[in-house]
Amino acid sequence: MAKKNEGVKNMYDLSSVLDFEALAEVRPGSSILVSGPAMTGKEKLVYDTLADGARTGNGAVVVTTSDRGSSVVKEFHERVPGLQGAQLGVVDCRGEGGSDPGLIEGVSVHQVSSPGDLTGIGIGITKALEGLHDSGRERGRLALVSLSTMLTYTDKKTVFKFCHVLSSRLDAAGYIGVFTIDSGAHDKQTIQVIKQAFDGLIDIRDADGGGREARVLGLADEPTDWKEI
Amino acid sequence: MSEPDPPVVLIVEDEPDVAETYKLWLQGEYEVRMGQNGDEGLELLDESVDVVLLDRMMPGLSGDEVLTEIRERDLGCRVAMVTAVEPDFDILEMGFDAYLSKPIRSEQLHDTVTNLLERSEYDSLLQEYYALVEKQATLEATKSSAELAESDQYAALTEEIAEMREGLDDALGGIEDDDDFVATLRGLSDGEEE
Repeated sequence: MAKKNEGVKNMYDLSSVLDFEALAEVRPGSSILVSGPAMTGKEKLVYDTLADGARTGNGAVVVTTSDRGSSVVKEFHERVPGLQGAQLGVVDCRGEGGSDPGLIEGVSVHQVSSPGDLTGIGIGITKALEGLHDSGRERGRLALVSLSTMLTYTDKKTVFKFCHVLSSRLDAAGYIGVFTIDSGAHDKQTIQVIKQAFDGLIDIRDADGGGREARVLGLADEPTDWKEI
Repeated sequence: MSEPDPPVVLIVEDEPDVAETYKLWLQGEYEVRMGQNGDEGLELLDESVDVVLLDRMMPGLSGDEVLTEIRERDLGCRVAMVTAVEPDFDILEMGFDAYLSKPIRSEQLHDTVTNLLERSEYDSLLQEYYALVEKQATLEATKSSAELAESDQYAALTEEIAEMREGLDDALGGIEDDDDFVATLRGLSDGEEE
């Protein structure tokens, strides 16, 4: 699953968000799946990843199936002091936000009719990427929260293909993507299938003695060991 | 194996001279059908059609209405809108896969048809790729890692998947721009309402 890193500049450093050597130089165009049971901080991790990039000027695109577009905007303004509106794009797939794209505190929020409307999500992402591109953001990070919701609206084959196509689009843009999935909500085979659409995997689990552990697969030559986070 | 049938292009255009010109350009490589208006176009439309060139402004059924009908029939073909003026609206949102503004040159027409066929090919490759990944996942879910390490079938599958992954990214140029991206996604949803 690892992509060759030689000769590629402008790696993304995600190790300040999650302290792993394997995350220090992530190749532009990589898509990473964040998998773990419910309530293990997956969503926080991907939002941290985007906020961390935004602080250094990266663009950010959030595709959400659960959070209101306005609360995502609010959260980013709180996390990233000095965030510019043109730096963030939100695709709200809850299907509850009305049909018109809106501007919330300078951030464009695209409404999609349902988490199963892949074409609509694609158009939303396209517009968000265009907005970032127009404001001169060459680098950026996209988060999708969560694939588990999409899997309740459409089958795993379609979600797999969607992830693959979106990964290719991010690759062309030189962005990185982080996608969450609730490992407890699907059978083992489904998780195995979805994993294959990604370049790398961050696995999170509850540790035996309390707390949480993570490991990283696919981004370095060997999987890392489990480590407390 | 016999020679595969050429892809089928359906031209829906109310100006006979224009339609004939397109046909002349395309007929060497493709099987070309022609409909003079929306109703005729819909009559000629079936599962064998790969690409539709649809004039937007026609007497009778408009291009938009024909498009709606095409999407409702769920045929999985790609539709390029042909317009007299550069559209000032979002053709992707309207459900078209590409647009061409008149006057169209032969090269442009060929490029557009080729690109749309590549989208379809990309989708079928993705379909094959998925089938392999699913097979692999089933093995992984049912066998121990020791069993997997000894399985020739698993090794062959893993290799095949790696090759296909490269092929998907390279052979068809991956997803280069927004039109490719949205058109490919649209293909995914179209084929999945089983």
